[in-house]
Amino acid sequence: MLMPGSTQSAPTILSVRGLSKSYSGTIHALRGIDIEVKEGEFLVILGPSGAGKSTLMRCINRLVEPTDGKILHNDVEMTGKRRNLRAVRRQFGMVFQQFNLVKRLSVLTNVLTGRLAYRSTWRSLFYNFSKEDKRIAIECLARVNMDHKAFQRADTLSGGEQQRVAIARALAQQPTIILADEPVASLDPKIARQVLTYLKQVTQELGITVLCNLHQVEYTREFAERIIGMSRGKVVFEGTAADLTDEILHRIYYRDPDEQDDKDHS
Amino acid sequence: MGSVTFEDAVNAAMRLEAQARTRRYIKLSAWAALAVAALWYSAHQIKFSLAAVIHGVPFMWDFITRLFPPDLGYLTVLGGATVETVQIAIWGTLLAIIFSIPLAFLGARNTSPHIVVFHLTRLLLNSLRAINELVFALIFVSAVGLGPFAGVLAVALHATGMLAKFCAEEIEGVDKGQVEAQMATGASRMQVILFGVAPQIVPQFIGYAIYRLDVSIRSATVLGLVGAGGLGFSLIQTMKLFKYHQTATCILVIFLLVLISDWICGKLRRRVI
Repeated sequence: MLMPGSTQSAPTILSVRGLSKSYSGTIHALRGIDIEVKEGEFLVILGPSGAGKSTLMRCINRLVEPTDGKILHNDVEMTGKRRNLRAVRRQFGMVFQQFNLVKRLSVLTNVLTGRLAYRSTWRSLFYNFSKEDKRIAIECLARVNMDHKAFQRADTLSGGEQQRVAIARALAQQPTIILADEPVASLDPKIARQVLTYLKQVTQELGITVLCNLHQVEYTREFAERIIGMSRGKVVFEGTAADLTDEILHRIYYRDPDEQDDKDHS
Repeated sequence: MGSVTFEDAVNAAMRLEAQARTRRYIKLSAWAALAVAALWYSAHQIKFSLAAVIHGVPFMWDFITRLFPPDLGYLTVLGGATVETVQIAIWGTLLAIIFSIPLAFLGARNTSPHIVVFHLTRLLLNSLRAINELVFALIFVSAVGLGPFAGVLAVALHATGMLAKFCAEEIEGVDKGQVEAQMATGASRMQVILFGVAPQIVPQFIGYAIYRLDVSIRSATVLGLVGAGGLGFSLIQTMKLFKYHQTATCILVIFLLVLISDWICGKLRRRVI
């Protein structure tokens, strides 16, 4: 059992090496990212909007193809293999800022979609899932205390509830890593803390590693076991909440006016 | 440096706004003049004439008086044709629904497998939409023979074009987040469409299909003019035989049928949407 804070000794589950992404050769979203993620940790990627946090996550589960660099999951390289894309993606559960539940489907069906990558297209054609899948989905809902709303339509839930269902959907994939992209950016502070608490507790119980993008410093201090600071497509800080000084925060949130590609900000 | 006061900046913006407005007025007047000229020329070309309407009034009155009273006994003969009209519309719409689902996904930019497939599908749909049911009916009457089945095919093809185009546009407008979430789970292309796209468009699709049924019933009432079954056949036949009292009955039945179908389809649509 992994304890929080003991992650330094844990093995590396994901390593990102020299990852770059540019759009049409001119806009550089990521400029050579190197990150080591330890198994079972709750890693927060902190940075302002436009720092490249979202792009980094989308590169990891291949919703976006990186321009350069490598991503290794348990020492297996994942970049450049289009064939087993489904098998790669199902190992990464994703939680979005806008929840992205399918609004017209029930809560349970939404969680069941987390099982799609395990089933053939043919079998899901008529929206029927196996008994085993249903059990997994209901268990995941129960972990975030949303099982009592399983048969309600997703768009009848509040924002916080929708995000808990979205967490359950990610859990239903039985992933090794959950990528949470600004999961609380559209929630009020009370609900935001509740959602982050669920995310952290449940993943700790199941030994799932979490990469969580945040732009709020307070939540980061409260929930992160380790922090990576990003600014303009680069890693500018790595450490714990205790290392997060004002000087470091300045480096993350305010651009250095000496850098040449910063003309727009003078 | 610093010489531009707040007042100056505001005045400059006010001047720009006034210039833009003047330009808009000039442009609008030019277009209006062009439209008036085009309409005037067209009226001349189509021999638009109020005098002809006034001159024609006695002839219209003569025709109308010959229609009355409608031969209500002919209703018993029309029963079969009325049912046939509805049957043509139902089967035509059903076939259109079946054809239009795959075509809609091929003809939507975000679900089409290839840009070439997308353009070809849109081309096909636009051709189907461009050709009127009556023209299709003429073609199918010579292909499968006189009768209601030619009407079914005519309704089906035209409705496929309309329904698939509408559906494709709905698909292009879906919330991308819900689709991305499905992709992120590792779902296959087909599963993403089934679980991410389809739930977002189903109510609109059903609503439009019901509307199409209503429109198809209207079309099916005239398909008989070219021999493709339904009430239109009785309409043209009685007219050619100068049995105007029976023609009046046909018109009455068509009127009632359209009214009822509009009412029922309207009710159904409100239930879905």
